[in-house]
Amino acid sequence: MSKKIAIYGVYETKARVPVPQRYLKKRRAYSYMRKGKQIKVAAGKQRYWRKVMRTKKVEAKGRYEFTGRGKDLYKAIAKAHTYMPRDYVEVPAKEFLEKPEEYGVRGEWVDREVESP
Amino acid sequence: MIEKWSHHSILGFTDSETVMLDLDDMSFRSVKYWALRTMNWFQLGGFIILRSSDRCYHVVFDRKVSWTQNMTVVAWVSLLSHNKDLHRWLEMQCIKQASTLRIGPKRDKGSPRIVSRYGEQDGQIAGFLKYRRMIKRIMKNMGEMD
Repeated sequence: MSKKIAIYGVYETKARVPVPQRYLKKRRAYSYMRKGKQIKVAAGKQRYWRKVMRTKKVEAKGRYEFTGRGKDLYKAIAKAHTYMPRDYVEVPAKEFLEKPEEYGVRGEWVDREVESP
Repeated sequence: MIEKWSHHSILGFTDSETVMLDLDDMSFRSVKYWALRTMNWFQLGGFIILRSSDRCYHVVFDRKVSWTQNMTVVAWVSLLSHNKDLHRWLEMQCIKQASTLRIGPKRDKGSPRIVSRYGEQDGQIAGFLKYRRMIKRIMKNMGEMD
């Protein structure tokens, strides 16, 4: 079947993303060697960045392409307002209704500028 | 008038066998010229023109074609009309391997309205309008539920 209903846009969802966080590392011995004298504890700490995983609200683009009959399409479009598409999802409406969590993640559509389809 | 869609998602119609054009930044006169010229050159039977926003129009042709033929027609119009937006739209359709036109409202833009009809209307145009009616009915029902 070549005819489909497209539902697309920008959405917000919670996802585990890498976030840079600053850490402190003690460098007393190293500092002593470089400067030739014992330094204070605070000055002997080296700050560095590490990427840690956090659950955050992120914005993403996605698109559903539904095929099927009227009633299934209606239910699928209603369901698509709870389950956001993981990138590009082409699926029969009936299959999507059976297992929506397999094709999408929980989130909500947000009002952002989207390019022509 | 059905403009009760309060959700931020956009609804559209996708098909690989219907020749569809998205002509942005063009006057209605030019759109009609290109629609007529394309219809005559490729013998597409008839067409409808929908106005999606100011100086933005959609064209849907009546004859059923293969995906390869479909892209031939769109590429021909894109090349001769020198419309950069159409060229970009063509690239996006090639990635998806199907053409999509918007049916529902998008941000401050309303749903596309039919502004012109020409020639045969009982082929792919009838199918497009059937889906358009169905999407509008879904939008109306969901709007009433909210």
